Amino acid sequence: MSEHSAPAPKSADDPAFMLPASLAALRLPLCAGGLIVMLLGWYLASGIGTDGGNFGMSVYLTAAVYCMTIVLGCLFFVLIQHLVRAGWSIVVRRIAELVMVMVIPMGILFIPIIASLWTGDGTLYLWDNAEYAAENGLPQAVWAEKLRWLNQEWFTVRTIGYFAVWTMLALFFFKNSVRQDQTGEKAITDKMQYWSGPAVMLFSATTTFAAFDWVMSLAPMWFSTMFGVYLFAGSILGAHCLLAVASFVLQKKGALRDEVTVEHYHDLGKLIFGFVFFWTYISFSQYLLIWYGNIPEETEWFYERQLGTWGGVALVLIFFHWMLPFAGTMSRHVRRKPGLVCAWGAYLLVMHYLDVYFMIMPSAEQGDAGGTLGVVASVLCVVGMVSLLTGLCLGLAQQNKVVAVRDPRLGESIAFENI
Amino acid sequence: MLRVRQEQETTDGSQAFYNCELMSENNEKKVHGIVAEYTSVDTLLAACRRVRDAGYEKTDAFTPFPVHGIDKALGIKPTVLPWIVLGAGLTGTATALVMQIWMNAIDYQYIISGKPFLSLPAFMPVAFELTVLFASFGAFFGMWALNGLPRFSNPVFTDPRFDRVTDDRFFLYIDSKDGQFDRGGVEKLLGDTETDYVQTVVDDDSSDKVPKPFFVIWGLVASLSVVPLLIVLKMRVSHSSQPRFHVFYDMDFSPAKDAQQYSTLFRDGRAMRPDVPGTVARGEMQADLDFMTGIDMNALSVIDRPRADRLVRSFNPLYQTEAQSAQESKPDDATQAEKPNVGGDPVGGDPAGDKSGTEADKSDSDQPGAEPTAKPSVMDTTPWLRVNPLVLDEKVLANGRKNFGIYCSVCHGMNGSGNGLVNVRAQKILAAEWIPPSSLHQDTLYADKYPDGKLFSTISNGIRKMPGYSGQIKTRDRWEIVAYVRALQLSQNASIDQISESQRESILKEQAEAQKALKEKADAEAKAAQDKAAKAAKDPA
Repeated sequence: MSEHSAPAPKSADDPAFMLPASLAALRLPLCAGGLIVMLLGWYLASGIGTDGGNFGMSVYLTAAVYCMTIVLGCLFFVLIQHLVRAGWSIVVRRIAELVMVMVIPMGILFIPIIASLWTGDGTLYLWDNAEYAAENGLPQAVWAEKLRWLNQEWFTVRTIGYFAVWTMLALFFFKNSVRQDQTGEKAITDKMQYWSGPAVMLFSATTTFAAFDWVMSLAPMWFSTMFGVYLFAGSILGAHCLLAVASFVLQKKGALRDEVTVEHYHDLGKLIFGFVFFWTYISFSQYLLIWYGNIPEETEWFYERQLGTWGGVALVLIFFHWMLPFAGTMSRHVRRKPGLVCAWGAYLLVMHYLDVYFMIMPSAEQGDAGGTLGVVASVLCVVGMVSLLTGLCLGLAQQNKVVAVRDPRLGESIAFENI
Repeated sequence: MLRVRQEQETTDGSQAFYNCELMSENNEKKVHGIVAEYTSVDTLLAACRRVRDAGYEKTDAFTPFPVHGIDKALGIKPTVLPWIVLGAGLTGTATALVMQIWMNAIDYQYIISGKPFLSLPAFMPVAFELTVLFASFGAFFGMWALNGLPRFSNPVFTDPRFDRVTDDRFFLYIDSKDGQFDRGGVEKLLGDTETDYVQTVVDDDSSDKVPKPFFVIWGLVASLSVVPLLIVLKMRVSHSSQPRFHVFYDMDFSPAKDAQQYSTLFRDGRAMRPDVPGTVARGEMQADLDFMTGIDMNALSVIDRPRADRLVRSFNPLYQTEAQSAQESKPDDATQAEKPNVGGDPVGGDPAGDKSGTEADKSDSDQPGAEPTAKPSVMDTTPWLRVNPLVLDEKVLANGRKNFGIYCSVCHGMNGSGNGLVNVRAQKILAAEWIPPSSLHQDTLYADKYPDGKLFSTISNGIRKMPGYSGQIKTRDRWEIVAYVRALQLSQNASIDQISESQRESILKEQAEAQKALKEKADAEAKAAQDKAAKAAKDPA
């Protein structure tokens, strides 16, 4: 590491470390407006189709999974930075910590999805429908095995379990980080680094199975062991993009102007580039193996997703989620311009939504995504949910600092230089 | 060599030593540049900035570990290497895609796993790998090239204190090739920075010639490395009675049996197994049994249900009816079990003279114990399809002609009169007990007496000495041959009125010419006979 003397960090009470007032003022409008827009989108979507609200629940699930992936990505970011004892990321880590605590509101937002299991009969998850096996000509012996895992009770217990684990992890790392704002003890850093290893393992297990449960079981007879990684890849990409966007917005509004430097945007840009390709690699690997084997049992999921407009969406993902950002974020000259990194981050957050949409909506029994109204409803729902969570996050940020002010390595992070 | 040691006061009061060679000795040694030693990063960076600001460009800094910000301090321009890497990577992608498309989709089209010749998903892994490989080569060799490597040595190594650059000292070097280089000026500038050691870099006393033994070794290695290649080339143009040499056996000697080999796994000892009964060749799966048998199966199941069931079962071994399982418990003394692949003689039928082509007669075959006196042949009672199920167009007939030529003409002749090559040969060798192939132009074989379905069945299953061709000719092709045979029959039995107007004239012309030629030939023969008779008459006996 550089032997430069790091510049002395500002005092912990410096206003540069607090949430700017202009952003704090948005808390209530974002929460209230977001909630209304989300409910409006959900309501509009529920009206589409005649299958008892399957489309509405699918739209809601898409929005919920999208937000969940970002939140989980931020959780993983925090865990991995502790695990590898990274120094560069400390100035942006608090943003990720604030977002990862949103796993608690997400738990509440997931209640309608669990409720739809108990009230409806296969409203969202087709395996919940008692007639599913008969309607699709599935042998009873096979279906009985599936139902051992995919049944209301066990599914609910698992979902509660995932949220319990994530909440525990998020609160552990958040509370410790916030306490370090007060005390500045190195022992807290040591503790967080020590527990980051088991935390990462817990995270991987729960995220993988959550992906299987919430998204993969929409097609109950289909399976892909890569699926957890696929969801995770988009998730970690989204988290880095969010960090870039959030840092830029905070800086524009007056916070962290001297702390987050072009070097941090450079690193975030590098990681965004890397994870764009990682996402491409994982999703293509999943596709390639199934395409090559050409086994009907496995191809059904992709077959649905290459018919009609879904094929067009797949092509859009290839060109605009892979090739364009890959070429765009390749150059260090792009990465060293904070505005451009923020722009690519925002762009990729939209593309990540398209990816989640592509995962979930073809299984919704409208085939064509419900036409224009369906698309509008989906967009409203996700914009509303994102706004709601942003508002809540701003609320949390206002009560805390936006950077880990007394982290022992903060100075090193601020002084960090790439070549 | 005379050395003068000069003591000089420096700005901070310490003493520095400069080594200077006298002019007369200088001219032998080329001055490569001037190097200065520093003890800390900060002093090095400060010196770098001063050198940069003074306008020197051909400079270099040497440090034991990477120093952040040194590029900026020394004014080093961003390298062009990333662009080399990008170009190399894109070259890799293009190379991989072009190579695979050429090899698999154009030059030697090869079906792999049932995928299209040009399948991008399958080509992606190789494209990815070559992109990374070429990009890595670009980075590695590009870096070497931009650094002027490989070189035998760098003159700065001659400096005695330079060894510590890998330990705890930092060095700044200004090359004499720099446009602004001037020994005095550079020494003064460097002397102004916080250094205790400024030294000219010249070659040392070691020879700069490559030692002779190296050339010997290189020559030897180069010539030896050609030897394996020459051996391989020689082998490629020479013959050997020895079997091929396998360096790595890999999967060369497969234990799987080849065709015609013996296998102990089966009682009949054959490694090749016959088709499972009911096997349907690819593309031959038809739901239409009428099409596959030439029989109106609906009518047959009314007339002779057991036989209809047997026929169905021959195509679908799992088909069973109650009647069939009941029938099996009784002895089958009625119509013989019919296997479509065997050319069986029709019961009671006579070879070339089937008189009745009717199909309405009820067969009394189901009644056990009956003793029919003249049982009508099953070939006559079967409700054959009377109409070719294919839509007849030029393509069908052209294909029929092609297949007739391949399979049928060798016995029946190209014009269907029965004088194919086999018959010609048999006549020539005066084969005993030879039954000539039927002429297709007997009126017993015309469509009224010999329906299309019956002709189809004959082609498929054979008749008398003719084998069945259902194993060689696809079902649809057999119907096309039936259509062509009808056309052949018509061709030998048509009147000029049946020809279209446009072709009539040319045919009449051809006919007239042929008749004229025949007449001329006949006249010439007659004349020759006359001449011969006249000549014989002239000679006195």
